[in-house]
Amino acid sequence: MSLKDSMDPRIEELLPFYVLDALTDEERELVESYLAEHPEARQQMNDLHSGASALPYGISPVEPPRQVKKALMARVTADAEARARSSAHTSRQPSRPLLGVMRGENILRTFTLGIATLAIVWVIILNTKISQLQNEIATLNNTLAAQSDSLEQIIANLPKAPPSNVITVSLKGTDIQPRAHGQLIADPEEQSAVLVISGLPKLEANRTYQVWLISGGTPVSVGLLAIDESGQGVVIVTSDESIGSFKTLAISVEPEGGSPQPTGEIVVASDL
Amino acid sequence: MASKKNAIDASIRINSESNLLHAPDETLVIQVARGNTAALEALYDRYSSIVLGISLKVIGDQVLAEDVLQETFWRVWQSAATFQVQRGPFTGWLFRITRNLAIDAYRRRNVRPQAISSVNGSDPILDEMPDPDTDVAEQAQSILKNRQIRKALASLPGVQRQVIEMAYFYGMTRQEIAEATGEALGTIHTRARLALQKLRGELDRDEFEG
Repeated sequence: MSLKDSMDPRIEELLPFYVLDALTDEERELVESYLAEHPEARQQMNDLHSGASALPYGISPVEPPRQVKKALMARVTADAEARARSSAHTSRQPSRPLLGVMRGENILRTFTLGIATLAIVWVIILNTKISQLQNEIATLNNTLAAQSDSLEQIIANLPKAPPSNVITVSLKGTDIQPRAHGQLIADPEEQSAVLVISGLPKLEANRTYQVWLISGGTPVSVGLLAIDESGQGVVIVTSDESIGSFKTLAISVEPEGGSPQPTGEIVVASDL
Repeated sequence: MASKKNAIDASIRINSESNLLHAPDETLVIQVARGNTAALEALYDRYSSIVLGISLKVIGDQVLAEDVLQETFWRVWQSAATFQVQRGPFTGWLFRITRNLAIDAYRRRNVRPQAISSVNGSDPILDEMPDPDTDVAEQAQSILKNRQIRKALASLPGVQRQVIEMAYFYGMTRQEIAEATGEALGTIHTRARLALQKLRGELDRDEFEG
């Protein structure tokens, strides 16, 4: 019996509108709970989804006027500055004095005296702080001037050296998944890199893709890779060793949660 | 002294911008979540023309569509930390925000939809415009991808394309589409399914890699 024969006809009717994001909340919940209980129905959903996800690209792009970007970036920059100020203000907040338990008229008198005393102390502290900050600014200005000279020398030498250590390595699928391809974007001296993969099928819930870096024949697990409905996945891989110390990158199919060593089919393997 | 510092700042800025220009979307979103305004600008340069295209198609009003464009990227700035790469690519998230904001704006105007697309005639969808802020290779890839999709969409029977566009771009329910087109609900179900299956088949045949 095929999946189409066995599928609940109500769900079958709803699936196209589910991938088009045009269901009511109630209908959406119905579909999602069905998909959760019937993983085999997800393939049909994925097939429909790949058609729906192409729709935005069928629209004619329209170049926006410059003032839209200008207004957006002004708003964003103001927000970023406000966040920075808020963060600095929070870190400078003095701890609130404990009032303790006071009753009657003494409360007001003590409170007023306390506030006055605190204000005087606060002004003294502020003056001292301002003086210290002025000294620090003067010192930093001197340091900046010295460092600017050094940086200028470094910049003068930049054309002789590559602008960045970041490299991009192309990755290819094996005979098992010949359509798979991707890129590893890495600084060889760093211990992490960004892996971008396309053309891999999404796996059942009980299996996962696992990424390995191999040097001298010993594979090291550097992360699990989730693939979306369109066959794409992005993961930041991390290792105890620098990325440049490895010779090969491979991706295998493993049981859910990953394996200590590769046990399943190798779907991507490329020299770094 | 000031000119030295300016030169250093400019050099650092250019180098950073160059890295951002080629960074994957998901890397840029991580940067946006950390408050990097240049990363948001890079995403804007990459997708603003598509976002405006979607908004304009839904709302049919240039000024409102530009408001939606700005609001979409403001939401990206505000909510980047909630983006989960495991749930799909950045573009899916971005276009969903765009579509929902555009549909809300369209509904606030409280008018019936403009002609969504001519069932039998030509469609502005078939227009083509390169993105000036991507490099040549990306531009070429983008144009090819858009051509494939438009070709696939153009190959759909008009009545089928109409149903999926009403659902996707206008957020109309099955019942609303049936009412608007005067067709039976079952016919709408069949048209939507056939349209998506045919679209996928056409894209597979052209080896589209979305």
